[in-house]
Amino acid sequence: MNNFWLHLFHQAFFGGIAAAGFGILFNCPPRMILQCFCSGAVALAVRTAGQAGNLNLAEASFFAALVVATAERVLQEFQSSHGMIISLVGCIPMVPGSIAARGLMNLYALLRAHPNEEILAAADGMRKLLEVTFTLAAIGTALAIPRLIYPRKTPQLG
Amino acid sequence: MNAATYLPPLSDVARLSLSIGRIFMESGESGRVIHEEIFAAACALGCDLAEVYCQHAAIIVMLRRGDEFCVQMGKVGEHGVNLRRSEAIRDILRRVASDDLKCSAAQIELDDIPHTIRSYPVWLVCLCTGFACGAFGRLFGVDWPAFVPVVIGAATGQWIRHALMVRKQNIFITTGIVSICSAFLTGLGARLLGSLHPATATAAAVLLLVPGVAVLNTQMDAIEGKPSLAAARGLRVMYLLVSMTLGLIAAQRLILPGL
Repeated sequence: MNNFWLHLFHQAFFGGIAAAGFGILFNCPPRMILQCFCSGAVALAVRTAGQAGNLNLAEASFFAALVVATAERVLQEFQSSHGMIISLVGCIPMVPGSIAARGLMNLYALLRAHPNEEILAAADGMRKLLEVTFTLAAIGTALAIPRLIYPRKTPQLG
Repeated sequence: MNAATYLPPLSDVARLSLSIGRIFMESGESGRVIHEEIFAAACALGCDLAEVYCQHAAIIVMLRRGDEFCVQMGKVGEHGVNLRRSEAIRDILRRVASDDLKCSAAQIELDDIPHTIRSYPVWLVCLCTGFACGAFGRLFGVDWPAFVPVVIGAATGQWIRHALMVRKQNIFITTGIVSICSAFLTGLGARLLGSLHPATATAAAVLLLVPGVAVLNTQMDAIEGKPSLAAARGLRVMYLLVSMTLGLIAAQRLILPGL
């Protein structure tokens, strides 16, 4: 149990660091860097908890992104209107860039694979790319849901 | 409508709309945000109808007021992410909507945005990017001896990327060069410090190149009914990932030959 909480804290802390770092890279206003950290930490904490509860990467990422996007949409009533910067930056640490790179590397490895290794390399590469695709679809869908259910009030033309 | 006393010419409103869309697009906003903000601006400036067609490299705006209409098209530059720019545009649009800012004054402020928006110092951006990639490494299970090399490799990569982007080099070539440099430096450092995960460390060091915001915008544009914009974004993301991966493979071949 202690190991789980330690792991959760570790993932949340470094998720927050990654989100805050990318917040600076994206020229986020200084007053929002702490919010970016919290957003990334919450996202990684929910994802880690989900994975510990036997959800796969895509499912856990979906719930993590949904929690962050919903929280931002609800809290936006009390904030200035700044789109969905915080949830977007918070979800950046969950973008499976490393898995995508490994998937592409496995496909590249097909070029020099021995005949008996080809199927293994191809299957592993495709599996990783499918995982990336489903995870990205899950994050994107979860980020869009709060805005689709509770859209911003737009002025009526005409 | 709060512009009842004075309505600016439709051509000026269309030009302002294009500027809004272009800067938003170059700052990493989704198609839905761009549509919403242009609608809001057109409404505040007395238009009866506004249609926007957002593409990856161009935006088309059609505005109507009574019997008068105006269609304009504008090009979009290199896509990036700049959240302070987005916020500055929203601030201008708020003042236009509350009639505190006229159309012509808003256009001047929008044109000045690239010069007036503050940025973090380059060294700070490089350092923070390095720590972000180091954090990614820890999330992937990289051991502590590889943490510092990842930070240094990614920070150096960000500095190279900044230097090449300032010189307006091709984005895909830039990505490949940054990838190979970051991964090589990280792999070298990880080996020297006796890390058990040099391959994972090299992969973590190039994650600054993953176009995360573009990936998420691709998803949201597809879901929110803009499939052609999503397809163009997706194709660009794919080429960026291929450039990044080829650089990573080359660096790993050089520094981790037994992999």
